[in-house]
Amino acid sequence: MEKLPKSFNISGMLKEKIEEIRAAAHAAFAKAPTAKELYDAKVQFLGKQGSFSSIMKEMGKLSADEKPAFGKLVNEVKQGLEAFYSERESALKSGELAAQLAAETLDLSLPSSVEAPGARHPISLVIEEISSILGRLGYSVRTGPLIEKDRYNFEGLNFPPDHPARDMQDTFYIDKEHVLRTHTSPIQVRTMELENPPLRVIGVGPVFRADSDISHSPNFHQIEGLCVDRKVSMADLKGTISFFVREYFGKDLKTRFRPSFFPFTEPSAEVDCSCPICIGKGYIGNEPCRMCKTSGWIEIGGSGLVHPNVLKFAGVSYPEWQGFAFGFGVERMAIIKYGIDDIRLFNENDVRFLRQFSV
Amino acid sequence: MKISLRWLSDYIDINDYFTKTAELSALLTGAGLEVESIENLAAQYNHVVIGHILKKEQHPNADRLTLCQVATGDGVVHQIVCGARNHNEGDNVVVALPGAILPGGFLIKHSKIRGVESGGMLCSKKELGLPDDGVDGIVLLPKDAPVGKPFAQYMGFDDILLDLKVTANRADCLSHFGLAREIACLLGREVKFPIETMTEQGSTREQIKLSLVASDMCPRYTGRGIRGVKVGPSPQWLQKRLEAVGMNTINNVVDATNFVMMELGQPLHAFDASKLLGKQVIVDRSKPGEKFTTLDGTELTLDGTELTIRDAERAVVLAGVIGGKNSGVDETTTDIFLEAAFFLPSAVRRTARKFGIETDSSYRFARGTNPEAVALALNRCAQIIQKVAGGEILGEAYDLYPNRIAREPIEISLQTITDRLGFKVNADEFAMWMKRLGCEVNVNVQTSSTSPAWSILPPLFRWDLSVDMDLIEEFARLHGYQHIPESIPALESMPATDELSYRVEERIRRILQGEGCLQAINYAFLSAQFQQETLGSLDKLKALGLRTGAEPVALMNPLNEEIGAMRTSLMPGLIKNLIYNSRNGNPYGRLFELGFGHFKDGGDYPQEARLGFAFWGQEPNLWSKSNAPTVVALKGVVENMLRELGFAKWKWVALNSQTAPDFVHPGQAASLVLEGKSIGFIGTLHPSLATEHKVRETSAVGELLLEKLVASQPRPLKYQPISKMPAVDRDLAFVMPKELPVQDVEAEMRKTAGDLLKDVRVFDVYEGTGLQPGQRSVAFRLLFQAKDATLEDAQINELRDKVVKAASDKFGITLR
Repeated sequence: MEKLPKSFNISGMLKEKIEEIRAAAHAAFAKAPTAKELYDAKVQFLGKQGSFSSIMKEMGKLSADEKPAFGKLVNEVKQGLEAFYSERESALKSGELAAQLAAETLDLSLPSSVEAPGARHPISLVIEEISSILGRLGYSVRTGPLIEKDRYNFEGLNFPPDHPARDMQDTFYIDKEHVLRTHTSPIQVRTMELENPPLRVIGVGPVFRADSDISHSPNFHQIEGLCVDRKVSMADLKGTISFFVREYFGKDLKTRFRPSFFPFTEPSAEVDCSCPICIGKGYIGNEPCRMCKTSGWIEIGGSGLVHPNVLKFAGVSYPEWQGFAFGFGVERMAIIKYGIDDIRLFNENDVRFLRQFSV
Repeated sequence: MKISLRWLSDYIDINDYFTKTAELSALLTGAGLEVESIENLAAQYNHVVIGHILKKEQHPNADRLTLCQVATGDGVVHQIVCGARNHNEGDNVVVALPGAILPGGFLIKHSKIRGVESGGMLCSKKELGLPDDGVDGIVLLPKDAPVGKPFAQYMGFDDILLDLKVTANRADCLSHFGLAREIACLLGREVKFPIETMTEQGSTREQIKLSLVASDMCPRYTGRGIRGVKVGPSPQWLQKRLEAVGMNTINNVVDATNFVMMELGQPLHAFDASKLLGKQVIVDRSKPGEKFTTLDGTELTLDGTELTIRDAERAVVLAGVIGGKNSGVDETTTDIFLEAAFFLPSAVRRTARKFGIETDSSYRFARGTNPEAVALALNRCAQIIQKVAGGEILGEAYDLYPNRIAREPIEISLQTITDRLGFKVNADEFAMWMKRLGCEVNVNVQTSSTSPAWSILPPLFRWDLSVDMDLIEEFARLHGYQHIPESIPALESMPATDELSYRVEERIRRILQGEGCLQAINYAFLSAQFQQETLGSLDKLKALGLRTGAEPVALMNPLNEEIGAMRTSLMPGLIKNLIYNSRNGNPYGRLFELGFGHFKDGGDYPQEARLGFAFWGQEPNLWSKSNAPTVVALKGVVENMLRELGFAKWKWVALNSQTAPDFVHPGQAASLVLEGKSIGFIGTLHPSLATEHKVRETSAVGELLLEKLVASQPRPLKYQPISKMPAVDRDLAFVMPKELPVQDVEAEMRKTAGDLLKDVRVFDVYEGTGLQPGQRSVAFRLLFQAKDATLEDAQINELRDKVVKAASDKFGITLR
């Protein structure tokens, strides 16, 4: 609305005044640089105490004929200005928002305020993962003392006194009757003494051998499974371990069983799985695989049917109940799984090593 | 154990396997005799041949080198530069041609030496990996050495050596004949032992009077004299055999006994008969306190329990373990008394372990030798001694075997085998393998069941076979583990739950991981001295609720003192880790560890589960420039953990120089009280300890009794309705003495205000200008809210005033 409508026949002076205010308001709205100043201008012209309110007071001076036309004119002018105001307001506000947004831009490549993540030790990662795989087959975790009675570490596991099988494990002695457990198998004996079959348990924890070199630590970890039931066989043992290997290392990996000897199992078997590094090929490209030394197989543990003497010692009636057991070295699993190439890393507790396991 | 394939071939035809060593290895490994390595003696001399020096000239550019033209047969001549000085034209030499890889991995290539082409190398003994005889220069061969012949063939290095891992149950495979017997079983081939007739002269009984006293430890003892031997070096064939399996040669008589041990698995001992006092041999226990000097010069004190071989006055052999210095065969020996016996495995092992002596002999006896083969070995050895050292074999040999060892047959049914292995086993196949093993197999006709059953008598050399499971294992390995099918047993039991301690530990690991902590794992043993030095006063730890022991539980046979005693606390190990990290350029970190303290309690060794912490430094962070002390961060982590474990209430009690552990700052330490009892502490690492170990970062440590966190059952979580009423806060700043714990003021305020006081938060602590020394200002924000009404200002102000008054009255503190 650039100009007043011509059709009105109102006292010329008033009409001029309206036009004056209108033009002033329009100009003020047009040049207000911010929404705030625009609003101030609106109050000045259109507010309760504003210019149009004052001019409305002049209406009393007009004749009854002129009043409706005057009122109409003022309203039309005000509506026109209101519309112009809204138009200006939204233009200014969107400009201001854009400016604000531009000013507030954050460099989100900056580091967050959250501290570096923690990590579980790779030994714990292996133990938790294996326990959870075996947990799906109904196995649950048991632990036991590190300083173990000869009775549980050897005698109950079919190592008679003065038997050469005892030489298989370099043992740390505390006194004549106590050793640092050389394996987690004493947990089997303790569990069978305390709980009634059928049983599916995992024994886990630190074990000790008086042996230390570049590939042997005197203090390492084992995890083992024990299943005691009315009818278990070598086929069940093989099936269980193969399931475990596929779940833990990958579905394409194969498991191989080799005859061996452990006093507490019979038949006994060493367990190999196809090398997860070269997927059993022995070579990565043309390079010999360093994990399996080109054989395509790596040894991961021992297993077998529980020796009748072990069941009987723990008070489990044989042949009514039978069992199988299998065990793995946890560090060995971590070495294979994570490619760790120096066993000293496991116990130095260097944060640069540990931080890599924040999964 | 080292096995020579040539030697094996004396008893079984395995010529086809000389070129198929990988197959042989797979065969043995598949049967439970793991082949750890294969060494082909010929292979290391590939491209090494006998050569003839046609011409020797001075090297044109080097004074000390010669230039030789060397023929290697078929008209081929090589130009070779040689640095030795002992060779001449016309000599026969050993030539390594390009492509040869000499022992030690040295690859021979075509090369230019000082500008002259050289196509190989003339070799010294050392370069060939042969024993050094002290002669300088290259090997010069006899004039008749066949030029062009491969060196390995010329030397008879055509053997293949297997390194076999024989498990403790397979004593029968600790010899060449024993292994040949096993291979014969696996391949279904014949095994033969060379029996020669023996000519006897004179009488062993006139030479030596033998008495077997301790027949409980020595069930069988045989002996035979040999007269007029000449002790000296062994012939080549014997030396080569022993060297091949890694044994030293001593003299012809001792070598003969070792040969028979490696052949039949039966250890033997040869006495110098003239040194046996009273011409007597007595098999009996030692005398208590008796001294015995082994042939390598170690003096032992015997205690009356060891089995010995004695003469009229003294022990001459520690039976089955090691001979004595007083009776061995040496260069002056002419008359020999040769022993072969069956000693009880446990008796030999006990003695060997006690003195820490393991010999090839004790190793075999401890695993169980074959009592039936004793006399055979004795005669075989006598014949070999005669062959290599001359002399006459005496007749009337001794064979004392008062109670013949008998074996019981093992009853077994096809059903049992099928059940244990998990597949249908073929009866004929089972019987076939048992027979091949050397068992007597009788079908048990009395069984009423339809399943076949047998009565099986294992051969005497298989001591490990005594119950049905032993036979099932034998069948399984011979049938092949790879042919056993795979199945998963049906789950008949109710799944049980993990042990509680494991579950709580698993949760703690995850909670602390979320708190930015790294899990450490230290050895369970550590230097006793370092532990004692680090921990200091144990009474203080005890007062904090942690078990202590006067001294750490020590290992009887530690590898070294650094790892000689069990931990009584996780602190020394974690402090070690902290120092290690700080020194290795890791300026900040948060470690935690789950482990045990070990203690002695009468005849028992209880363990106490612990949770330890070591924090040091602070991660530089762009956003928060907080200077909160490390120990406060540790406190926060512990509290978050307690909360996540479900605990709602705990209390920190400040420690002081009387109560704080010696390794923490006495003014920056607190004990954690849970359910009215201290369960451990946290504190800043003591500055003097930090200085001593050059740890620059502010560090905090702590140790908690994990058992309490596991055993205490946190109250079950209960939901509280959210109040819809407005909450109003009021800020209060008290000026108070620095030593007054804020926790106490807060508790007093909460007690006074009651339920309407929803929360109290400390938002500022100020010390310094405007305050008296020793005073600080602590600002609290109190949040008031009612469950079901809007609180009026007047009401809140009244409550606030009440709170202020209570705190002022109780602690004598004022508003700032």
